[in-house]
Amino acid sequence: MMRVDLAVVGAGPAGLAAAAEAVTHGMTVALIDDNARPGGQYFRHVPPSFRRTAATAFDKDRARAEALFAITRHPQVTYLPEATVWDVPEPLTLAVAAGPRSGQVEAGAIVVAAGAHDRPVPFPGWTLPGVVSAGGVQNLIKGFRLVPGTRAAVAGNGPLLFLIGASLLRAGVAVAAVVEAAPIDRRLPAALPQLLAAPEILQQALDYRWALLRAGVPVLTGWAPVNAEGEDAVRAVQAAPIAEDGSVDRARARSFDCDLLVVGFGLVPSVELLRLAGAGLRFDRRRGGWLPERDEALETTRRNIFAAGDGTGIGGVELALIEGRRAAVEAAVQLSRIAPFAADEIRAGLRRRWKRLDRFRRGIEALFAPPKDFLALQTPQTVLCRCEEVTRQEIEERRAEGFRGAVQLKSTTRMGMGRCQGRNCMATLAALVAADSGASESAVALPKARAPARPIPIGDLLHETIPPPDLPADPHLPRKRRT
Amino acid sequence: MTHRFDAGIDRGTAFTITVDDAAVRAFPGESVAAALLGDGRRAFRRTARTGAPRSLYCGMGVCWDCLVTIDGRSGLRACMTEAQPGMRVLTGRTGLEPEAGR
Repeated sequence: MMRVDLAVVGAGPAGLAAAAEAVTHGMTVALIDDNARPGGQYFRHVPPSFRRTAATAFDKDRARAEALFAITRHPQVTYLPEATVWDVPEPLTLAVAAGPRSGQVEAGAIVVAAGAHDRPVPFPGWTLPGVVSAGGVQNLIKGFRLVPGTRAAVAGNGPLLFLIGASLLRAGVAVAAVVEAAPIDRRLPAALPQLLAAPEILQQALDYRWALLRAGVPVLTGWAPVNAEGEDAVRAVQAAPIAEDGSVDRARARSFDCDLLVVGFGLVPSVELLRLAGAGLRFDRRRGGWLPERDEALETTRRNIFAAGDGTGIGGVELALIEGRRAAVEAAVQLSRIAPFAADEIRAGLRRRWKRLDRFRRGIEALFAPPKDFLALQTPQTVLCRCEEVTRQEIEERRAEGFRGAVQLKSTTRMGMGRCQGRNCMATLAALVAADSGASESAVALPKARAPARPIPIGDLLHETIPPPDLPADPHLPRKRRT
Repeated sequence: MTHRFDAGIDRGTAFTITVDDAAVRAFPGESVAAALLGDGRRAFRRTARTGAPRSLYCGMGVCWDCLVTIDGRSGLRACMTEAQPGMRVLTGRTGLEPEAGR
């Protein structure tokens, strides 16, 4: 058992910024992260054993990353890499699995900066080797300078597709096509005023688009992947126009040969821990789906549990850095570690930048707003649940027998009961149930969140030291457990 | 085919891991997934129910699709496990891993 002022879950941009801010107010911090090295997905970097012999185009944000990573070595910070937070057993206690270092962390306040992962969108062939998520390909490029293919197609929905297309070109890979579901070219004029709130980010996006144009890469907007073809690995992708209502015109499909199909349909905030903590969630499809409810101080509906960064709704690295700082300042206020006037000064500076970036984000959301759903990409044989290999047809068979709700379909097909614990399929199941019932996705009752938040080795639990309950000396209450 | 790129990087001295019965080259700090992909391998396993080939999908520890058996421990994520010299990796069908201790 460890006791700290602030526990930070996630050592990505928001978590690192939160830890760095907290120590300036004299707080002790536990910084807990799943990965072996800090940075999360955005600041993912090559291992220390990879020596840099020359500056490379892939090192753009390296100086900023190194400055942020310094916080992991600060004397007030206990940095726990390769550690999984698997439960929130008490309102301000985290259960951590990390081999022999496993145990509980008790904190005055918690900042959950759990980040996000790719939205899984099933279509025929999406389980084939060589079909890799956008985040996964980014990680291979940033973390290992490796691309698992020589001719790539990029398909899905969201601004990341253009960034990835450009990175692949820079890595020396041929790009067969970039396929974007939203009709962004038609929408650009309307979104431009908001996008101009952050001209420096807009410029980057235009650079990516320009690089693709210069390389002669076909960019199809208002199109979606409808089939990944291949037996043991992907060898081509077929794409077809998709309308705003989600309908697909397969008769106009075009085929692109590729040995790597990068799929990215936007990001889904990782809210499992917040669900376990009992924090209230709300639904915002454009921003990633289920998000924590927060007040202006970034506090969730659970007292002293704050949430920051992409795990609260996709906003990107700059917004995450600001939110991490803001959450730590608010935690410091709650724990009386900062004078109110000093907090106000920091808040004012952060709020100005936050507003500007939030305006930009709204522009991006309007530009890339997805079709109503992606259910028309599926065929009866399409695997919806990768872990348990449940197909659309099996869902339809159970529906014909009268199973309609998400919980009913889960228990009768095992969809959502595999190792990923529903991360890859629950959004699909919710969309199917919503389309079936005519209700919105936000009205679909999802199965209850249960610990462990992620599969953990059972041996890690043996290292737990469970503290005695802290009960008042009231003779009518059960006796305190002896330790 | 996979390729490792970036002329500004010196990966150090490669070592060998064993994948099924083959020797596969890995560089220090690479994940098992990076080593397998770097070797040009596509499927990391076959699924228990239908025997379908699977490989790296999410690449960040979320999807549990890149499972392999390493030194007798089954169900490990290739994307989250660092390759070590001499590691023995099995990429067969899930559910048919050799059962240790029986």
